Amino acid sequence: MTSMTEEQQLRLQAFLDAELPEKDAREVAAWLAGDAEATRLAGELRNTRRALADFKPEWRVPESREFYWSKIKREMDKSAPVQAPAQSVSLFTLLRRILVPLGAVAVLALAGIITLHQVGAPAGHPVQVNAILADAGGYTYRDEAQGMTVVWLSYPAEKKLADSPSPDTLPQK
Amino acid sequence: MAELEYSSADDRVLVGAAQKGDTDAFEELVARHRDKIYARAFSMMRNEDEAIDLSQEAWVKGWQRLAQFQGESSFATWITRIVINLCLDELRKQKRRRTESIEELDEEAGGVERQMPAITTNPTERLERGELRQRIDRALQQLSHEHRSVLVLHEFEEMEYKEIAKAMDCSIGTVMSRLFYARRKLAALLADLKSEK
Repeated sequence: MTSMTEEQQLRLQAFLDAELPEKDAREVAAWLAGDAEATRLAGELRNTRRALADFKPEWRVPESREFYWSKIKREMDKSAPVQAPAQSVSLFTLLRRILVPLGAVAVLALAGIITLHQVGAPAGHPVQVNAILADAGGYTYRDEAQGMTVVWLSYPAEKKLADSPSPDTLPQK
Repeated sequence: MAELEYSSADDRVLVGAAQKGDTDAFEELVARHRDKIYARAFSMMRNEDEAIDLSQEAWVKGWQRLAQFQGESSFATWITRIVINLCLDELRKQKRRRTESIEELDEEAGGVERQMPAITTNPTERLERGELRQRIDRALQQLSHEHRSVLVLHEFEEMEYKEIAKAMDCSIGTVMSRLFYARRKLAALLADLKSEK
């Protein structure tokens, strides 16, 4: 039967595990040097620790590499991917990317045709600004007195249209 | 770009590739460390099927959390911590399921081994390595889950008291008490095994 208290036993263990602050460790070391029972207990604890340090278990997965991996892989496939998925591109965005440049080209072509038709037209017509292909953000400026048509495009079309009032007509001079 | 040579690549290189979604790189990491992860699970659970399931679960969790791995510790240490946490969770669930026995309550308080006189002879002295392994293995088998877990985490994983307390969700005092009891019980079991011979 031991005469040591539980607290003394646990302090001794903490000392052997290097878990005590320096001051406490010095105290325990001094006590240990003069106490036969504490020395015996320290010897037992050290022996157990040494035995475990030499214990190199050879527990190996009792399954082949392929079989073991196959179950992991199956679960990995079911779960979320390791990295964030690439940012998805919506159909609308994709169409916009294609259609806006195409629309711009179409507007330019249309403006060219209108200009050709207007060469030689009678003077004195008012200045007009029309929104054409509003979705694509294109406008034409036509001065019939000068026989001139200017086409301008804005991008992104949605923002421009949302931010500005409808420029169907400008005040006449 | 040169193709990655998985078998000779460093763990850090494989982890980097796996973080980009390369499952072949991850498979190489599994192949390299699977025995260690399984052994840690088995040392805590003492059951082959549970150790296989938990070690595989650890790999799946590792894959899912790979983006969080910053390389502050080695990959092996990181994945070992995952399997330890899974084992501790499982042990807690099992404990809740079963009825606490009087013996277990006694163990928690320190048990009769605390009162035993110290074993002065080294019970493992002059034993061959294989024999020593078998004896310790049998002795560990006889410890309760709580005491074995503390012993495994302290002696094999070299975790400090406070780290164990955090992992096991208990106080440092409980860790110290369990560790002391586990060591004394182990010493007694090894001495008994020696006298049996």
